[in-house]
Formats: sequence, C-alpha cells, structure tokens
Amino acid sequence: MTRELVKRVVAAIGCVVGLMCLTAPARAQQHATGTPSEMVTTYESLADAILSVKKTEANLVRSILGAAYAHAQVELGRARAAIKSSDAKAGQGALEALAADVAQLASEGDNAVAAVRKRLIEGGHHHNADGEAKGIYDEGFVVVTRAAKSAFLESSRALGQMARAPKAEALEAEWQKVQATWNGLMKPAR
Amino acid sequence: MGRHRGRAAAAAVLFAALVATACVHRAAAPQAPPERLSARPADIEGFRFVDVAAEAGLSRPFLAGRPGKDHLLDSAGAGVAFLDYDRDDRLDIYLPNAWRLDGSRIVERGRNALYRGLPDGTFEDTTDEAGVAGEGQWGAGVAAADYDGDGWTDLLVTNFGRNLLYRNRGDGRFDNVAPAAGVESPGWNTGAAFFDADADGDLDLYITAYIDCTLDEVLAAVPSLDWKGLEKVAMGPFGLEGARDRYFRQGDGRFVEATEAAGLEDKARGYGFAVRAADFDDDGDLDLYVANDSDANYLYRNEGAGRFQEIGIWSGCGLDANGAAQASMGIAVGDTAGTGSPDIFVTNFSEDFKTLYRNLGGGLFEDVSEASGVGPATYRVLSWGTALADFDSDGDLDLVIANGHIYPQIDRHPEILGTYAQRNTLLENIGGVFRDVTNRAGPGFQVVASSRGLAVGDYDNDGDLDILIGNLDLPPTLLRNDTPGGAWMTVVCEAENGGPPPIGTQVTVRAGGRTLRRDVATSDSYASSHDPRLHFGLGAAERAETVDVRWPDGRHTVLQDVASRQFLRVREAP
Repeated sequence: MTRELVKRVVAAIGCVVGLMCLTAPARAQQHATGTPSEMVTTYESLADAILSVKKTEANLVRSILGAAYAHAQVELGRARAAIKSSDAKAGQGALEALAADVAQLASEGDNAVAAVRKRLIEGGHHHNADGEAKGIYDEGFVVVTRAAKSAFLESSRALGQMARAPKAEALEAEWQKVQATWNGLMKPAR
Repeated sequence: MGRHRGRAAAAAVLFAALVATACVHRAAAPQAPPERLSARPADIEGFRFVDVAAEAGLSRPFLAGRPGKDHLLDSAGAGVAFLDYDRDDRLDIYLPNAWRLDGSRIVERGRNALYRGLPDGTFEDTTDEAGVAGEGQWGAGVAAADYDGDGWTDLLVTNFGRNLLYRNRGDGRFDNVAPAAGVESPGWNTGAAFFDADADGDLDLYITAYIDCTLDEVLAAVPSLDWKGLEKVAMGPFGLEGARDRYFRQGDGRFVEATEAAGLEDKARGYGFAVRAADFDDDGDLDLYVANDSDANYLYRNEGAGRFQEIGIWSGCGLDANGAAQASMGIAVGDTAGTGSPDIFVTNFSEDFKTLYRNLGGGLFEDVSEASGVGPATYRVLSWGTALADFDSDGDLDLVIANGHIYPQIDRHPEILGTYAQRNTLLENIGGVFRDVTNRAGPGFQVVASSRGLAVGDYDNDGDLDILIGNLDLPPTLLRNDTPGGAWMTVVCEAENGGPPPIGTQVTVRAGGRTLRRDVATSDSYASSHDPRLHFGLGAAERAETVDVRWPDGRHTVLQDVASRQFLRVREAP
C-alpha cells in the first residue's frame, strides 16, 4: 500500500468517524449505555487498516531485503566466475559488491532507507516496539534482528577483507553463513 | 611565557636553505629551529600542560546561546584553528564565535577573533585590521587552507547561516569571497575539508551539515525532550530533520556543487559534524570520512576521477563493534599501532565508548576500542574535538579529547553519570594500548569546562605540540606543553610557491627502527584546523634514516640521514 493510498484510507475513515461523532449525541440519548455499535464497527475498520499498514511495512522491508539478497546472489556468481578464471580485478569488484549487499541486509537497506527509518522513528513509529524493549531489534528495524544484523555485519566485513585475495573455499564458507542467517530470518512464521 | 631566546636572529635563519627538489638523496644539514619560546622544566616527570590562554592574550569568550541550552545550536559550540596567515613562521589563532540569547531575544552577536602570534609567545588581536570578524554570523567551524594556491592561507568559516570564505590578500587583510566563490551554502554547516578530490591540482570542498532548521525555530525553542524522566532538555537530533552535506568542485577559483555527480550524496541525511580527507586505502588519492551524530558514519572511497563510493558499513568503520550507529562528533586520524596505515578515532556521546577503528590495510577497519583501552577510558565523558599527536615525542601517537556535556541540567542530578563541565582527556599510547594520564598531565588538564573545538600545534616553536581548545561561554584554553620529551622533527612541506603545505602531502620518517607517517589535512577534530607542519617524535633517535615526502601529485622527495630537533623545510619541485 502506498503512502498516498494509506492517507486516503485514513482520511475516509476520519470522515466517517467525524460524521458519527456529530450524530452520536442524539443516539446516545436513546441508548444511554455503551459505545454506539457503528463507532465500534468503524473503529474495527480503522484497526484493520492500521494493522494492514503495519503488515504492508513488514512486506515492503522483506522485499527490500529480497532485492538485496538477489543482488548478492548475482555478485556471488560473478565472484565465483572471477576466482575460477583467476581474474583478480573482477574478483575484487564482485566481492566488494557482495560485501555491500550483505551490509545492506544487516542494515535493512542502504543509507537512503536509513533516512526513511529515521523519519519513522522521529514520528514515534516503532514497528517492533516490544522487540526493541527486549533488545531483540535495533530501533526502527522491522525484520532484521540484532543477532542477524551482527552476523550479516561480520560476514560483510569478512567478504570485504577477502576481496584483496579471493579464495573459493573461504568465499563458499562465508556465503554459507550468510545463507544460514538469511534462512533463519525468512522462515515463515508459525 | 616570556622565556624566549634569540628570537630575532632565529627568525632570520628560521627556514633558510634546504629546498629539496624531487627525489633527492643526500645528507641533510640541520637547520636552526624557529624561535624556541619555552624551555621545558627538567624536573617534571610525565606529561605536563599549563593553561596560558589568559597570559597569552586569548580573552574573548565564546558566546553559546542561552544558559539553559534550549536548542542544540546553543550547545554545539564551534571549532578553533591554528594557522600562519602572515607567513612569519609563528602560529596564529582563529576562533569563530556564536551569539548570546535570552529566551527568543538576540542579546549579542559574537565576533570571531583572529590573533596574530607575537615573538614573545603572546597574541595580538588583529581581527579588525584583517576584516575577519564573521559578519555577524553564528559561527560553527573553521578550515584553514590556501584554496586558491596563491601561497597565502585562507579561511573558510562555516556558520549556522551563510558560510564565509575569507581570501587572504597577503597584506594582513582578508576579503569575504564566499558569494562569488559559490560556497555560502546557507544552513547549519559544521565541519569542512578542502582536498583535491579529482586530482586536477586544485582544492575541492566538502562541508558537513547538521540539522535543517531556521533561526526562528532556534529562537522559539524551549527544552521539550524528556531526558531520563528527570528533566526537559533541548530537543534532538531525533525529531529534527538532518541537513544534507554538500560537495563543491573547484574550477578557476569558483566552486560548483557536485554532490550527487561525485557520489557524495549523504543519502541517510546524517546529522553531520566532522569530516576528514585522507588516503585511507593507500592508493594515492584522498578518501573522505564523515562523522554523523546518531547515524552511521560514512567512508567515501575515492574511485578516481572525482567519483566516490560510500563503503562505511562493510569496510568496518561505519558502526561500532556492536553494529550500532553512535553519536559521533569529532575525528582524529593517525597510525596508532605502527602499521603504516591511518587509523580513525571518533568521539561520541557520554556513557558510550569513543571508537578507535584500526586500519587493517586497504581501507578496511576493525573497531579496537575495547582492546586498545580507548573505549573504557572514555566511557563517561561526552567528547568533541580530538587529535592523535605525539605529545611526549616518544615516537607514538597519544590521544587528546575535548569534553563537555550538552545539557547543563545534568548538574542538578548527581545520580546521573557526568557533569556539564568536564575535564579534557589525555591518553598515552603505550605500544598501541592507551592509558588515561589526565590526572598526571599537569594543571592544564585539570581545567573543567564544556569544551568543543580542539586544535594541536607548536605555537611557541619549541619542538613539542601545544593544544588549543574552545569552551562554551568562556575564553579558550591554550595548553602549553611543558612535557620533557624525546627527540623530535617538524617537517614543513612547502608548496612550490613557498605557500602552506599542500593538502594531501604525506611524510614518512624512518628513525630508530620505527616508521612514522603523517599527512597534511585542512581540518578534522571538531570543525577545527591543526598546525599544518608535521611533527614527529623520535624518542631516543637523534637522527632519522630517511624522510620521504610524497606530494599530492605522487612525486617523492627523499632525504637521508637527517638530524633531529629541527624544523625541516622541504619544498615541492615545480
């Protein structure tokens, strides 16, 4: 759901709630106890929208991560080919690009995404507020846990260091670590 | 002060002779050092620094907004600079200034100060005759460099407002050419670095910016951030929009913004405070390191032809060892462990490690704050300006850090770690591990203030490095170094026209089994400029086997068997 669409949905719901507020006093006179059912229903709809937006945010971040992971796989292929053909320059380029992709997995996107995340935090939005309080997530992070972030960061640095003298075995070992972290992160929720 | 000797004669012979041209191999004759103004007391052990600011005539206080520091601008302070604007081989001092506020009322617009170094070690206020009072702007930082290559050091003053570029006319006066040069860049500008990004022979410019806000917002600010549930303090930086850093490419004395074209986009809109240009990957061109408050720091690797790639996170110097972005304020660069590559030290907020990133070679870094002792020793304080410098001339780089909290309200709560005014910190390097020697560093390090900018330089030309520190709502501190140290050598790299050392020049000295490397930069620390002459502590070695000067264009000048305890002037070949 785009931000514009969310705005429209929220605005529409706001209008409905507003109208109901205007008519509520008259109804309240007729039924003195309880919240008018229309308001509850509308609030239910609003809750659906809010929760749906949160779910959409999670899906979007998963897509961002998916794109970075797919790009990493391409760079992995390039790195493998370069090592096989002993092309040091191409190997270095591919490994650095791979390191950058894995770093983006760690930080849930590049610096531009970080700017968006910062805006959300500034606005008081914490996707995983409970997880943050428990130390599971960094502030504003949606999918990548602290543990996964740490593992990705370690791998990205290792891949960056490897770029100067690429070795097939070391590359495969490091990629296995990345894969394991990725699979753990992306496994379907039970 | 006043312990000078033979100053007139020494000034005459000061930097005579030894104009070395490309790739010279010969024995270098010792030169008379510039006037030695202070003799070191011989009976003092360890470090000893004495604050001589008042007796040296540095009396102008730094105006810092409101007493309660209602907005972050009130407590940001400014950088300081050592420079030699009149080419008399004595260091001068430039101090930006801010404003004093009372609520939303402007009480006083501070005047920047230019102090000319005098032969007796004191300073004369030459601000008015030089025409560099700051045009009533709210000063933030200073970068001293000969941007136009005419042989005279110019001043870029970054402001909350429009920047000033004071072009040195060479007659003791400056002209503000910022509008014509295209570097006014209105906003909250902070650190700045002149450097040749595209290897075309002239200096380009990167300016960090902090928060996107207006003067009206600053004046209307009231403490509104709930801090630890105890106090309302100045809001931010979270909750305020980060301002974009800018990069300007120079051509024919004019600067054209080329931020995106160069790949220096500040995509995170980081709260930028400091920047340092250095050849971090040792490939012969200058990279950029940017310290951001509360955002990941950037390492922009120079890919050649004026294009950069941001590699901070995977290169290991964007986040700390825990993968967290820190609230970074200042930068120091130097080889702390004798590896031959420049490490990066970053100052951060209180109750956090200040971070030392060791260069593993090729521009890859590892956070060694814990192992090096730097982190634990700096956990309590809130740190700003900093420098890696060999204060005891024993051959390794020590670390000085300017400290001071941003919330004066902290003093009402003894249960909170820290105070508003803090002592500055001196860490001694012992084989790559740092030990806190602040307590034993003399009376100068017992001064408490809320300090910000910091620059290092040999203002009294006695062969050791002194320290200039800016303080909020107070005059600066000038710490004269009276430490009994080892042998030393200061290499003065002259541009081919005799002007100040070219930015990016790198000097490697081999002496006593050590290899020591320094580079010429415009500024780092916290929006501050150091003495551009390169100081080397040689310990017990009375001679250097080689002095290798790598000029920005890649040519080398090599001198062999060079005597210590001298200011060694080396001129770039035409």
